[in-house]
Amino acid sequence: MNFLWIRLVTIAIILTPFATYAKDRIFVTNEKSNNISVIDAETLNVEHTIDVGDRPRGIGLSPDSSELYVAISEENKIVVLDPNSLKILRDFEAGSDPETFGVHPNGNIYISNEDDAKASVFNPKTGKQLAEIKVGLEPEGVAISPDGKRVIVTSESTNMLHVIKAPENVIESNILIGSRPRAAVFTKSGDIAYATAEISGEVVKVDMNKAKILKTASLGDAKAKPKDVILAKDEKTIYVAGGRANKIIVMDADTLEIIKGIPVGKRVWGLAMSGDGQRVFTTNGVSGTVSVIDTGKNEVIKTIEVGKFPWGVVVKDN
Amino acid sequence: MSLKKSGYLFCVLFLSSINIANAVTEVDFIYIGDSEHDSLLGVKQGIDEANLQGEFLGQKYNLEIVSKEKIEEYDFSKYIAILTSLDSKQLISLAKQLNNTPVFNLTDESDDLRRNCIANILHIAPSNKMKSDALKQLEIKKPASKANAQAWHYSFVKFAARDLNKRFKKNFQVKMNDHSWAGWAAVKMTSDTVARTQITSPDDMLKYLKNELTFDGQKGSDMNFRVTGQLRQLIILVENDKIITEAPIRGIAKPPSLDSLGILECMN
Repeated sequence: MNFLWIRLVTIAIILTPFATYAKDRIFVTNEKSNNISVIDAETLNVEHTIDVGDRPRGIGLSPDSSELYVAISEENKIVVLDPNSLKILRDFEAGSDPETFGVHPNGNIYISNEDDAKASVFNPKTGKQLAEIKVGLEPEGVAISPDGKRVIVTSESTNMLHVIKAPENVIESNILIGSRPRAAVFTKSGDIAYATAEISGEVVKVDMNKAKILKTASLGDAKAKPKDVILAKDEKTIYVAGGRANKIIVMDADTLEIIKGIPVGKRVWGLAMSGDGQRVFTTNGVSGTVSVIDTGKNEVIKTIEVGKFPWGVVVKDN
Repeated sequence: MSLKKSGYLFCVLFLSSINIANAVTEVDFIYIGDSEHDSLLGVKQGIDEANLQGEFLGQKYNLEIVSKEKIEEYDFSKYIAILTSLDSKQLISLAKQLNNTPVFNLTDESDDLRRNCIANILHIAPSNKMKSDALKQLEIKKPASKANAQAWHYSFVKFAARDLNKRFKKNFQVKMNDHSWAGWAAVKMTSDTVARTQITSPDDMLKYLKNELTFDGQKGSDMNFRVTGQLRQLIILVENDKIITEAPIRGIAKPPSLDSLGILECMN
């Protein structure tokens, strides 16, 4: 019954004339060519390149995927695009040096302002700042629990995960981890989070209800300075971008044991997964490429040339 | 239990839990030297940053500044570490007076002071030999260059040095240099250790810094101390106020590590 329903809806979507615009895409920010590459999810070819401003880094979609947000670090703003028509719709001031951000299920954006030791909350529809939260030095990664109740902001120079209660926007706890925490991800339940520490080359697994580190694992490679971390769809494995180790490290989500290293391009930082969990996309900064990983085999199936120093990546496929 | 009593008990429990949450550890530093010296600005930057972290983790860092004339009459027992811009002779006499307290040398570059291996002196300033070794490496790569060897440069970007340079400039309206970097680094490695280990006694701090430290000094990640008390660090090579490269220089440095720079062993 459910299956039939899904089929009917799918057919209905295909028959809708809008379907030609709402195609699945991967968006990549190119930090040093000041543009974003738009990759067709089906052909895995770059179909468009859009100039967006000086040093685009963080990138994300609105909860309904109708808007694409790009942090333009050197211009202190967020640019809003239509991910279907690829038109730039508007922009808004987003505090000093916006780097990464997370989109809350309620539509608001949580931004780390690297220069100001704070995180700020914006309504991207109005461009209005709703709140400001004081955090440690060089705030970087932002992760939001799927239920929207917690936000993690990592501070690189203060070595902490700041756990913010949302939507109250007050700090609930501060968890000291290894040197230069860069990114984090929540499980679907929100009970567990994983975070990377770049300089100490570690991944930590954190109990979010107790604000306690459960496990710390080294990536076992002196060059592995991890950045992004994402969870497989079944949440049994995590994918960690290994930086200058030029590989993705696949780890058991429970034990944090290393399962596999997948060689990709040079200085891999950004990671994103397709909605069906079958593809992982990586940004390889120094190589100027995106690697496409098939998560069934955990192998690279395609390498795509993009702009200079690709940084962030997001998949739009719903 | 009467309502009044339970209310009282609740109050006591409530207040005591607040006390626990607000238990702040006070950590005291002292700076000895010229109060106009650049190294002191770096120290102040380090203290500011440590307090920002301490706000989240429950530490409060204090700084006292004292001129070198007052060293002998001073009671140093409460300080976690002594930060100095002194010459060799003053530094040695201070270190002997203090025994097991970490004494940071922020400015003196003499090689003999490293060879002496005085147990409680930690040299943040690179030695003359480290700088000359760096220049020798550069000469192989680029003969006839007229470079300077430096511990820091305001335009250094790598290892998030860009962020530190920006923060410092914003705070003091001057560019970070070798001495201000050294002051910042000494405070940062000490306060990081307090946050991570809860060490608050100077002798435990000295042991930790000398034996277990891995420091992210925003110019390379795995900085630690040699037996000589010298901080292992890369050297920035600068020509006409522009960074040419950093030593150890890849393909030239022997061994291909930070130990291609400077004195590795003690005199005896």
